[in-house]
Amino acid sequence: MSYTRLVVANLLRNKLRTAFTAGAITLAVVLVCLLLTMPAALDRLLESAASDVRISVHHKAGLVYSMPESFARKVRAVDGVEAAAGMVWYGGAFEESGKVTFPNFAVEAEHIEAVYPDYPIKPEELADFVKYRDGALVGRQVMDKYDWKVGERVSLTSTIWPANLDFRIVGVVEDPQAPLFWFNRKYLDQALESQFGQGLGIMGTIWVRASDPSMVGSIMQTIDDMSRNSEAETASETEKSYFANFFGSLQGFIRIILLVTGLVTLCIIFIAANTASMNVRERSGEIAVLKAIGFARRSIFGALFGEVVLISSLAGLLGLLLSIGLTTSLRNFAGNDGLGPMSGFILTGPVVVQGLFLSLFIGMLAGVVPSIGAARKPVAVALREIF
Amino acid sequence: MDAPMIDVRHVSRHYLRGGDDVHALDDVSLSIPAGKFVALMGPSGSGKSTLLNLISGIDRPSSGEVIVSGQALPDLSEDELARWRARHVGLIFQFFNLIPVLSALENVALPLLLTDLGKAERRERAETALRVVGLEDRLDHFPATMSGGEQQRVAIARAIVTDPDLIVADEPTGDLDAKNAEAILDLLRTLKKGFGKTVVMVTHDPRALRFVDDAHHLDKGLLLDDDAAERASAALHASMGPGPRTTEVEP
Repeated sequence: MSYTRLVVANLLRNKLRTAFTAGAITLAVVLVCLLLTMPAALDRLLESAASDVRISVHHKAGLVYSMPESFARKVRAVDGVEAAAGMVWYGGAFEESGKVTFPNFAVEAEHIEAVYPDYPIKPEELADFVKYRDGALVGRQVMDKYDWKVGERVSLTSTIWPANLDFRIVGVVEDPQAPLFWFNRKYLDQALESQFGQGLGIMGTIWVRASDPSMVGSIMQTIDDMSRNSEAETASETEKSYFANFFGSLQGFIRIILLVTGLVTLCIIFIAANTASMNVRERSGEIAVLKAIGFARRSIFGALFGEVVLISSLAGLLGLLLSIGLTTSLRNFAGNDGLGPMSGFILTGPVVVQGLFLSLFIGMLAGVVPSIGAARKPVAVALREIF
Repeated sequence: MDAPMIDVRHVSRHYLRGGDDVHALDDVSLSIPAGKFVALMGPSGSGKSTLLNLISGIDRPSSGEVIVSGQALPDLSEDELARWRARHVGLIFQFFNLIPVLSALENVALPLLLTDLGKAERRERAETALRVVGLEDRLDHFPATMSGGEQQRVAIARAIVTDPDLIVADEPTGDLDAKNAEAILDLLRTLKKGFGKTVVMVTHDPRALRFVDDAHHLDKGLLLDDDAAERASAALHASMGPGPRTTEVEP
């Protein structure tokens, strides 16, 4: 016989109630852990996707506005710029539904290697990308999603340009988080020129690679100064800032979800506290007898409080295990189906600690009031209530 | 002359219940020597359980002194009283009040959690206590699987496991049939005779008079004098009929 045995025996007294209480706490921990991974997942995505020397140059009014094609040449001449590659959104749909299911851009193929030396692309595939005008470099996610192979030909129907193109896949960008599809802008340029006598003539975004991270600030300033008072004033920003803005709306959504999760957690604290109160009320006779035979207030408090904290801790551990399982499944699922940011869901150390603290917090908050109440009641009063 | 084991001096206990000032005890004085088996008798509301609670350090008097084994109980704080009870008092209740989710052995070992004894020694002592009450073959049985008499024996084992000086019992036979009631009274007498314990018992049961050394009668919060006590005892016997009741059946 030990205090632990006493606590465990009392927990197993009403197994269904204990299971429901533990289930509620487990659910709260899973919910909070999953949601806490979201901001971290986005940060990780930004960290992994963003280089500290890459700059995005686009129209000041927004990404849907364009800049003159010649501006890319001017950018390349700026002091500190190692390379720059212009891109235009093609908006190509692969499936019959006509929906754009992955981002696809017409890019300056000959500058890609210099701007993205950190991207995992085989040199021979990069060479083919420059060599073949209809060549396309495709991200691993998209390749896996459609079960495409290098050498395969695919057709995209543009939702922007009056030019539907056939592509030859010449290489793969082996980055599981990059759902991209790049092809040579000259291909689109020629297609438009042959049909309408006029080529693209514009750039949507120019990606710039600085020779040194310390030059990034001055380069952005110089580029924006160059376009000042023109029809296409630019707004330059770091790659990280670009992606952060891109996911900005998602972060607002996450904040709302976190708020709702906080309220759900509060509800679960109340439920657990109510259960603890019911337990104390139902056992008031036994508690009175324990006091009578010499259990001091501290012992009574410890036994009752221990019950709630033990169940919440065990439920918290279960919640963490479930969260690890769910995030692993989600990552695997996201990797196969191009869910983008979700592939970054990882239960990090800090999130695990926060989950454990949450379960302890729920237990302590739910257990403290009924335990103190039971411990403080004078033994004579407690006995008088039951006899 | 030796100091009495229990010395109650001019004790009153008043409390408020539903706005009424209840005088549970009024100026009661009583001495009980060590090693005696004493009954506190009287009708419901006479104050006998209140007196028992004061003697066992469960309740505090509104006025007067309660000294047990030389310790003035009103001087102790709530936690000090709890520690004192754990060391010096064994409690037995009418409805046994065992923990249903613990076995007989675990119920008996419960008060030993408050001692410095190791796990093995706690178990050994609990087994010994259950042997004393004749339940050595029911160690792992849970209260729900035991008869009322057996449960009360477990409760007695729990009361004696810490080897207290004083055993107090509140209507220990109140929920038992005649046969079990006599067995429990005999067991309490054995604790006095065989182990030198002081036993104070609250009871309505006139059978108890055959087992105890002394009986004190209370009525309306007052301790009756010898003549009044004799009249009360006679009335009690008359109300119970010519002999011990035997109409109860084993639950």
